[in-house]
Amino acid sequence: MNRKIVFGIIACGAVLAALPWIGVSAFYESFLYLLFHWVILAVSWNILSGYTGYFSFGHGAFFGAGIYGTAYLAGTLGWPFLATLPAAVLLAAALGLAIGAIVFRVARVRGELFALLTLAVTFVLATVILNTPIDGGPGIYLIGVDIPALGPSQASSIYMLGLITATVALLVSYWVYASKFGTGLFAIHDDEDVAEVMGVPTYRYKLYALAISCGLAGLAGGIHSVFVSYVTVSEVFSITVPLSVVLMSILGGSRHWIGPAVGAVVITCLLYYFTSGDSAVLGRAMVGLILVVVILFMPAGILGLVSGWRHVRRNRAAAKAVAEAPRKEHPPAAPVVRLKKAITGEPLLQVRGLSKSFTGVHALSDVTLDVRKGEILGLIGPNGSGKSTFINVVSGHYKPTRGEIIFEGRNLAGQDAHRFAQAGIARTYQIPRPFSHMTVLENVAMVGMFGGEGKSRAEATRDAQAFIEFAGLAHRAHALPDDLNLHQRKFLELARALAARPKLLLLDEVLSGLTPSEINEAIEMVQRIRDRGTTIVFVEHVMRAVMALTDRIVVLNHGVLIAQGNAADVMNEEDVRAAYLGKAHA
Amino acid sequence: MTLPSLSLLSQSILSGVFIGGMYSLIGLGLGLSWGLLRQINLAHFGFVFLSAYLSYHMATVWGLDPLLTLVLLPPLFFAIGVAMQWLLSRFLISPFNSLLVTFGFTVMIESLIQYVWTADFRRLQSGYGEEKFVLGPLYIPVPELLTLVLAVLFAFAIWAAMRFTDLGKAMRAMAEDGPIAAAFGINQRALSLILSGTCVALASIAGICFALTFTLTPTQIFSWVGVVFAVVMLGGLGSALGPLVAGVIVGVSEAVAMAVFAPSWAPLVSFSLLILMLLFRPGKV
Amino acid sequence: MRSLKRVAAWAAIAAGSLGLMAAGPAPAQSSDPIRIGSTLALTGPLSATALVHKLVGDIYVDDLNSRGGLLGRKVEWLVKDDQSKPDVARTLYEQLVTSDKVDLLMGPYATGAILSAMGVAQRYNKMLIHHTFGIPSLAKYDKHFPAWSVGPKPEETVPTTLFDALAASPKPPKTMALVTSKFPSVHFMSLGAREVAKKRGIQEVLFLEWEFGNRDFGPIAARIKDANPDFVFVGNIGLEGNMLLEAMKKIDYVPPLHFHLYPAPGPMVAAPEGKNALSVTIFEEHPPYTDNPVAAKFVTEFNKRAKAAGFPYTKVEVQAAASFTAWQLLEAAVTATKSFDDAKLADWLKKNQVPTIQGVLRFDRGNNYGDDLMRIKQVQDGNWVTIWPKEVAAPGATLKM
Repeated sequence: MNRKIVFGIIACGAVLAALPWIGVSAFYESFLYLLFHWVILAVSWNILSGYTGYFSFGHGAFFGAGIYGTAYLAGTLGWPFLATLPAAVLLAAALGLAIGAIVFRVARVRGELFALLTLAVTFVLATVILNTPIDGGPGIYLIGVDIPALGPSQASSIYMLGLITATVALLVSYWVYASKFGTGLFAIHDDEDVAEVMGVPTYRYKLYALAISCGLAGLAGGIHSVFVSYVTVSEVFSITVPLSVVLMSILGGSRHWIGPAVGAVVITCLLYYFTSGDSAVLGRAMVGLILVVVILFMPAGILGLVSGWRHVRRNRAAAKAVAEAPRKEHPPAAPVVRLKKAITGEPLLQVRGLSKSFTGVHALSDVTLDVRKGEILGLIGPNGSGKSTFINVVSGHYKPTRGEIIFEGRNLAGQDAHRFAQAGIARTYQIPRPFSHMTVLENVAMVGMFGGEGKSRAEATRDAQAFIEFAGLAHRAHALPDDLNLHQRKFLELARALAARPKLLLLDEVLSGLTPSEINEAIEMVQRIRDRGTTIVFVEHVMRAVMALTDRIVVLNHGVLIAQGNAADVMNEEDVRAAYLGKAHA
Repeated sequence: MTLPSLSLLSQSILSGVFIGGMYSLIGLGLGLSWGLLRQINLAHFGFVFLSAYLSYHMATVWGLDPLLTLVLLPPLFFAIGVAMQWLLSRFLISPFNSLLVTFGFTVMIESLIQYVWTADFRRLQSGYGEEKFVLGPLYIPVPELLTLVLAVLFAFAIWAAMRFTDLGKAMRAMAEDGPIAAAFGINQRALSLILSGTCVALASIAGICFALTFTLTPTQIFSWVGVVFAVVMLGGLGSALGPLVAGVIVGVSEAVAMAVFAPSWAPLVSFSLLILMLLFRPGKV
Repeated sequence: MRSLKRVAAWAAIAAGSLGLMAAGPAPAQSSDPIRIGSTLALTGPLSATALVHKLVGDIYVDDLNSRGGLLGRKVEWLVKDDQSKPDVARTLYEQLVTSDKVDLLMGPYATGAILSAMGVAQRYNKMLIHHTFGIPSLAKYDKHFPAWSVGPKPEETVPTTLFDALAASPKPPKTMALVTSKFPSVHFMSLGAREVAKKRGIQEVLFLEWEFGNRDFGPIAARIKDANPDFVFVGNIGLEGNMLLEAMKKIDYVPPLHFHLYPAPGPMVAAPEGKNALSVTIFEEHPPYTDNPVAAKFVTEFNKRAKAAGFPYTKVEVQAAASFTAWQLLEAAVTATKSFDDAKLADWLKKNQVPTIQGVLRFDRGNNYGDDLMRIKQVQDGNWVTIWPKEVAAPGATLKM
């Protein structure tokens, strides 16, 4: 976390806090309050939706929960206003948690379905409030509510509340952005399944993000209820709030902590600028035109443009630095004490009676095998034999239908994937699945933060640099994965798996698609990884590599383990030849 | 709460089917461009209303038969759709950016309507508004029936086109995997222009039906966004028949709730149903 | 090239927003024109009636200036667009008072915006005359003056007037269906009507509420038809009444008597099914209202300019009349006190009765409200015609069934 930014936010808040005392006309307080209001809403929306990509159209519900929380408690029940604000926060956050606890369990509800669900929640909440004594129809009137004096006048008190909340919202937004938590959220944004496998507790993180997002929206609502002083269901739950926050965040740049705030300021100013009565309609058309032009020319939003420039600059600088540095013959070894090659025979992973079926199809049936500490175990079989399913189950991505996965004496079966990662199991994907919005360096550092030991960002980044060098990607450290070729992406996949410092590494066809010389390079790399003491399960079609690398092999066919043992022996067995080689080499 | 009579219940269900037809007719083009072009086209609602106003203008000021506008307006809107896609395709646009851009278009269309026709209410009075069939205890008004028939007709026509014609297959291929489709010689650019034109033409048809059934005011554009979004997403993006089914489900569940319980609780019923379907229906909704 | 284009666009926007911050009106000088500040919902969901208020204000200010302005000073009307949002309305009134420093305020219309404006007026002790405020019990500021004279308890007095009118008809209703929107300023009136009906011994055969923004009125119409009442009270605002009537027509049901609280005037008159619809009014384009020469002149001018501006409905009715009355109140108070001082103006208005086109207004009862001047009108032969009470009814007009 950058202290300068934290101090900057607080300093800006402090400067603006002086405004009511220097005799600025009250209009500016009122207008700035509106800015703060939208800043809070947009920034809070972004903490879940921008960071994780779970676009919510339901921000109006959480904002509305806050508004009605305060309005009902202060306006109807006569609570002191300040006491209602924590209640508004809790109410909105609790609503968010309740929804999230159910919705985030259903893996299907992502993307537009999540947007739809949150939109539907808004309508349901509005209907409930309208038809129960919370509102009942007439709206709630709040002019009699006392607002504690935080400034020279009542208007400036509301201004101060807005200012404080906006400052807090920005601090929270930045804190999340810069923290390990935020990195996890960004990983969820790019590829939730991979994030989970890399050790991100996705369910918990999404819930936290939603709760923070809702709590802030609820606070904005609580304050806004006294600003408008008369709340009605049709105003509060209109489509304006969810639509505006989405637009503001996209305009400002939803991957940036301050982007939504910038978008909120721009749109609010724009709308306010065109309030002259003579050309109201023309002004509105202008707002539309400006939005179109801005987003066509700045697709990543205003902040996206700025960070885009910075990214290009850093990328060039990194490439230049590497070009200028004296070339070494061999990439340096990864920063790990080199262990002796020692297969102790002691099992690291014991798989007992493992089965996995998908609606009737048995992808794995009753597979029992041991992976011994320090070995390279080859896992082979024809296409569709269950190799990938095996990797997916042992990495925790799929939960097994039956059976045990005992890793270092602990049964992991049935647990969430991030537990597997934290226990020390890492994997690569056959088709590389890097986090597409993170640079190579960030991709690797992220794994160090979540997998295995769970390092701090600084430490993980330092390590990541070494792993990238180890994988020969130093010159692309600041490139985005989309700019890499397949070979580089495969090596990024490896560097990422290594960064978790796994005890067990599952390699899923790392060689497929590579040229013969690249394969040689990769084989050498796998050997070096094993030399560092990592146990490896190696799924591969390239038999040359299997023979060269593995200590033992296991053959799967139709989800059943049909043979295991020394590579040369197993390959000579009858049914292996029939099932596997017979087909593959016919 | 008394038990509603059978004729009341069936009349209400019918009313729900009709409003569901309107939802799905508006949603059809929206869902297609969302699913196949990956554009969340808010301007779709703008086009629906623009078409409704043009239809109103042609019928009321020029004295044309409203059904004639069904022939005149769609080609015009097809051209608008092509032009819009031509503009958008010159830029790289993500789905959510398209939301922002088309919001801008919608605001401009809204302003245009307000400038030309003022914000006051406009009603297309035509002979068709009065017509209806009587079927036993049930009444079937012609404008609503027309909306429903068109909704069903176009839903099936689009479904058949996507399934059986080369153009439709190419579109689905493009939506599945653009680069691969392009590698097989599919001209993405031309396809997306045609698709966008078709979607906007569908918007204009929905607009004409809208003008025949509802009183117009430009500010209502956004009040249809929520429910139609729900219908489209529930029906499945890019699906032709999905929105029809979803529209009728939402419409009928609301109408039945209104007939049996209190009308003001109706949204609770339809949207709770929607939430439950999202959460518990196995497979893709 | 691409990035260059983006830079250019970005720079243009930056420049635009700078200009935006710098733009601000110069402060007013004395001896210059008298400046009156307002907001109207010129865009957004409430904009359908904003044009009426804008046009009436323009007509009145033009007329005022042609008569030499207020106390010899020219009048300048500063209108801003509150976009139908109460929070924007509040900020704009803050701007009008503290930044633009206007001399006088004129209120917006619609309950939410008026409440926002009233809060600001109260903080700066400005007088606020406003047009159509629906819920008198919420207006607690002592310098606010409603131009729409509905009395302090319209939820009792207005239904009373209505049921009086019905009782005087040849066939007074015995049963009633009351259906209402949950729009705040409508809903409380409907609940009031329910009470009044109960006291009068009218049997309620159906009571339904719908959420504002409801699109499907088919089931509601079907339930009314099923209940078969003598009289349908529709608590509606804007288009809801038309939508309900259309839904009724589609199932071949014509209610024997139907009342609509705040229908959009144009569509209700234009629609064939609006025949015999009852509603409330404070002014219609017929004698005795138009016997007042000021009213007659206003009606002519309004009709002419509304037509020129392309309004679909060009007649003066509740909104236009309330708007005109507001300006009349302002002029009367300034002329009588020879002052632009808010305190003096408010004081005078509270103590005096002011003749306006809707009748004589006073502000000495609860929450600065006076008499309930709401009348009952009916659509007859494609026009709104006042039918009750007799002394303001159009010549010869009675309730038709």
